[in-house]
Amino acid sequence: MKATNGEKIFYAINYLILAIIALTCVLPFIHIIALSFSERSAVDSGHVFFWPVGLQFTAYKIFFIASPALSAFKNSILITLVGVGLSLLGTILAAYPLSRSYLMGRRYLVMGMVFTMLFSGGLIPTYLVIKNMHLIDSYWALWLSGFISTYNMLLMKSYFENIPYEVQEAARIDGCSDTSLLIRIILPLSLPMLATLALFYGIGFWNSFMSVLMYINKSEMMNLTVVVQGMLSKNDLLNSPSLNLEEQATVATEMVKAVGVVIMVVPMLVVYPFLQKYFVKGVMLGSVKG
Amino acid sequence: MKGTVVETPNQLYERSEQSAWQLRRRRRLKQNIPLFIMLLPVIAYYILFKYWPMGGLVIAFKNYNFGDGILHSPWVGLKNFKLLFSSSNTLQIIWNTFWLSFLNLIFGFPMPILLAILLNEVRKSWFKRWVQTILYLPHFFSWVIVSGLVLSLFATDYGSINKVLALFHIEPINFLYESHSWLAIFVGSGIWKEMGFSTIIYLAALTTIDPSLYESAAMDGATKLRQMWHVTLPGIRHTIILLLILAMGKIMEVGFDQVYNLQNAGVSDVSEVISTYIYKIGLGSSQFSLSTAMGFFESVISCSLVLLANRIAKKFDQALF
Repeated sequence: MKATNGEKIFYAINYLILAIIALTCVLPFIHIIALSFSERSAVDSGHVFFWPVGLQFTAYKIFFIASPALSAFKNSILITLVGVGLSLLGTILAAYPLSRSYLMGRRYLVMGMVFTMLFSGGLIPTYLVIKNMHLIDSYWALWLSGFISTYNMLLMKSYFENIPYEVQEAARIDGCSDTSLLIRIILPLSLPMLATLALFYGIGFWNSFMSVLMYINKSEMMNLTVVVQGMLSKNDLLNSPSLNLEEQATVATEMVKAVGVVIMVVPMLVVYPFLQKYFVKGVMLGSVKG
Repeated sequence: MKGTVVETPNQLYERSEQSAWQLRRRRRLKQNIPLFIMLLPVIAYYILFKYWPMGGLVIAFKNYNFGDGILHSPWVGLKNFKLLFSSSNTLQIIWNTFWLSFLNLIFGFPMPILLAILLNEVRKSWFKRWVQTILYLPHFFSWVIVSGLVLSLFATDYGSINKVLALFHIEPINFLYESHSWLAIFVGSGIWKEMGFSTIIYLAALTTIDPSLYESAAMDGATKLRQMWHVTLPGIRHTIILLLILAMGKIMEVGFDQVYNLQNAGVSDVSEVISTYIYKIGLGSSQFSLSTAMGFFESVISCSLVLLANRIAKKFDQALF
């Protein structure tokens, strides 16, 4: 069918609106990246928009000298990598047995877990439990409190349940035990789901903020989120004695803040394109049935 | 008649049935052992980190102190709750929590539906893919990043908007320190962050609409807008209702990170919510019992709201559990 004039106008407007909305999602980042690379006079006078004016890198240098960002960056990576590994393991260990129809008491176990999504002890009792376990100032507090997300576990469980039964039966007849069935048949078939959950858990640990505020007191153990948040709320970033005065004069506070945001976003932008194609399927799986 | 009991064929059959059942049961038990070994750490985790804190809720009814611990601190009955509901400060905080998430709901809820409908009308797949990829992205950023962006846009002294205004000789505006503009920024940033990601579910629902409906609507002379109104929207009605009900179940929850990162002392009368308050008085000034009472109240309300929402959803055949 040929498009009528009305339809042509409609499509043009539609594309325009979507393009504008998409731009509002990227322009703030481009702006902040441009700020972080610009020279001070241009930033101060408000002439930097989406392209750096007078390219310079001093703000980055100052960011890494004036703040504990480098060690915070390492901490964030450690928290994320170990956290994702543990959480995926925990989620698989929960989802596999619960996806077996012959598991005894399956209904009650699932109900017990779903209940924790509806009702929880809340912030202070959870804090006291972590404290009584002497996990304050230990990353185990973060890894364990984010160990299994019940929602992710349910996603994984229904994914396992949808793997064709015939494949599993064949493996069983060939003498596979539960462990080898899981490792050699089910997990390789679940790579898209594993990638999705790795992204979800990874983003969660990389962004972890409240739990770090609560459970970590030592400043050298803070992660990037908390360090950058601290910088955003400060107005005298450039008063560190370790800074070179000449360089300080070439940088404005907001430029250093911009660097903080850029540093937090870049690692995500590196991982995102690789995992992006998987998560849509994962989210749809957990969404409403047709 | 005495001596040996002769079994009828029926009894024989029943006996063999019984032993087969026992055999199956024994085999099933054996099959279950490796599964339970796998589940062991998981169950331990749920007991230690999910159910034990629920037991810790008793300190809402106690005067908790470190010396006596959870078990031996003195009982005070409902004193903490009375304290909460007699103070205008805490009532204001409960109201703020409700109000902020209500605003998030009424302005944030329609956006993903609109976006999904617009995206669904895109015929160029490369364009659709690009727009989707970009729209999903903000969902994965932490509120620290978003608040950094908000600051760089709206800050009074160095915000880009004020700098552009300055080029036109307009006095800087305190966007972040006025209640009204703060509320707008709060709601707007929430929409900006989540609108793209929430379209995923609607887009999935849209794929189930029969394309022939559009064709026949077009035959009958329906314009694109009419097709959206009479075909698209009714087609995803169930999804919309379900998500709306679910969202209403979460009306008492407004995320800690969003509020904590955007709030400032200037707007504390509208921006203090239950979660930030618990964090501040609980961990900041060690008022464990009082803040636990507040958290308990919040948990009970939101749990009942979710259950109520689910019950309503059942009426529309859309219940979750």
